[in-house]
Amino acid sequence: MTPRKLLLIAGAAMILTTNAVLLAGVAYNRSGTPESRMVLSEREFVWPRGDDSESENSGLSLPLAWRVSMDETQASTPKEDGLGINPAWLNEQRLAELGFKRGGATGDRPLGVDHLLMSERGVLLVLELAGSTWQQALQRAEQRVARQASLREANPDSEELAAEEKKARREWAREAHEKSRLFAVDAGADLASLRTRYPDKSRYLILPAILHVYGVAGRQGLTRQIQLRANQLHVPHALRGLLPSPPAAKPSFTATVTVGRKLEPWIEAVTRR
Amino acid sequence: MHPPHRNAAQQRADDIQVFLTELARLEAQGIVRLSDAQRQAVTTHHDGVLAGLTADFDIDCSTSARQLSLGMRVVSFLAALALGAFVFFLYYQFWGLFGETSQVVILAGVALGSLGLVAWIQGVDPSGYFTKLAALVAFTCFVLNVILLGEIFNVTPTNHAILPWAALAFLLAYTCDLRLMLAVGICCVIAYVSARVGEHSGVYWLSLGKRPESYFPVAALLFTVPRIIPHQRFAGFDALYRVFGLLCVLLPMLVLGHWGSSSYLLLPPSRIEGLYQLGGFAVSALAIWLGARRGWAGMVNTGIVFFIIFLFTKFFDWWGDLPKWLFFLAMALSAIAVLVFLKGLRARSLRA
Repeated sequence: MTPRKLLLIAGAAMILTTNAVLLAGVAYNRSGTPESRMVLSEREFVWPRGDDSESENSGLSLPLAWRVSMDETQASTPKEDGLGINPAWLNEQRLAELGFKRGGATGDRPLGVDHLLMSERGVLLVLELAGSTWQQALQRAEQRVARQASLREANPDSEELAAEEKKARREWAREAHEKSRLFAVDAGADLASLRTRYPDKSRYLILPAILHVYGVAGRQGLTRQIQLRANQLHVPHALRGLLPSPPAAKPSFTATVTVGRKLEPWIEAVTRR
Repeated sequence: MHPPHRNAAQQRADDIQVFLTELARLEAQGIVRLSDAQRQAVTTHHDGVLAGLTADFDIDCSTSARQLSLGMRVVSFLAALALGAFVFFLYYQFWGLFGETSQVVILAGVALGSLGLVAWIQGVDPSGYFTKLAALVAFTCFVLNVILLGEIFNVTPTNHAILPWAALAFLLAYTCDLRLMLAVGICCVIAYVSARVGEHSGVYWLSLGKRPESYFPVAALLFTVPRIIPHQRFAGFDALYRVFGLLCVLLPMLVLGHWGSSSYLLLPPSRIEGLYQLGGFAVSALAIWLGARRGWAGMVNTGIVFFIIFLFTKFFDWWGDLPKWLFFLAMALSAIAVLVFLKGLRARSLRA
């Protein structure tokens, strides 16, 4: 066989086989009963800014806007790169259950110089929509408003306190009407056991993620960073006409996000409000 | 005997030019003189050989042609990069206008069509410049095919996607005799093997730079390939495998020599850094020695470059606080010492 014939035959076979395998995976993911299906509002998506690079891209992909509750006083804001940092529920014990071992620490020795044997792992992340974690964030915002209001009542002439109260009210309004209600609440390695704990498939999404854990030499504590493996959801061409192109303002809409058998999500429907 | 590849054909043409130049010199000095019949026979023979080689391989028969060819090689590489970028951005500009079925058909169709274009151009371009261009575009189209399908259907990224890319790059390299595509294929293999090694050790595959030792296994693989697969018909392929293999050892060592905490070894970072700095010197010196012994210029040059880099970074660690003039004097004297050593090595190889 001449090199040209080999190139054509083997090359075409490679290209066709690769496409076939990829599309077969997609078909399998979208076949049968979906793993979960959830209706999200525009709050749970990051709307693209429409800068130069995005203006040259005629497709539209919407990153999921999800948050973590970092401790009892704060929740993170959503980012386009889908990174969640230091969730309160991801403590040392949970890390150990997820397979993160620490090298060099023995007995009761406090956290010190870290040399982790496993610094990154693939995990399954549980995302909760408008659940108790969001309610807690809302309550914290309400409490801040009440606290600032009482401080202002005690010092009615203070402009600083007046500004703080205004800021607290603004934050409460954003938490109630604008910020994402989607929170990462748990992670695990086994889908079946996670679904047993979180059976409501319209309230809990389970998606593949990467958990990065690293420490800084000489400092106590570890940084725990979670990243969804496929954070951007492509808007299908048939639904594209329902949404404006960035940099137009974010519209009000709901989107049905379905997660298939391979835990790969897709946008099934979009409704403008 | 018909040369197996273009490099061999070019070498034959260069040998003829050198012969004619030396013959003219000898005749001018009266050492030898060909008769008219002999001169005619030699000229007729050489003209025939050169015409055949030019027709088959598009070789350079003069100094000016050779200089232009070098320029054409650089330009064709830049043109290939620009065309690849053009295809990439063209896709992104217009893909959203089509439905998913059309997108799938267009992506696969363009990948197949570009492959056909490579095959056709190869048949009409003996020089290989345009074939290289078309091959890189075909590879780009296939990479985009897979990436965009993944984006359209929200497929979870996986390092297994690198395998078909590597396979196509190697196919293009060996069927079209293109070292550029071989380099691309080797880079894909490096990425895949180190990603798999990293994954087994607790590193997400897209973070494969976080554990430099993940590259050592693929270095061993790359050194082994030219030993078990003969490449007589492919000029420069052996050297590429060896150079990339050496880079997969020396670059991680350079990184680990200054960033010991990224090592798999359960030792204090400072000790790891010391070990890898010593190791870096040893491996680059070994590469120079082995390359000089076997006539592998790529190994020698790569080893020299990294030896100098290790040396200069060490100087900076030791003497970075010295006055600048003194620091650079030390660097210059060291470079001269290395030059003297290499001169001695060269003289020894000439005597041998």
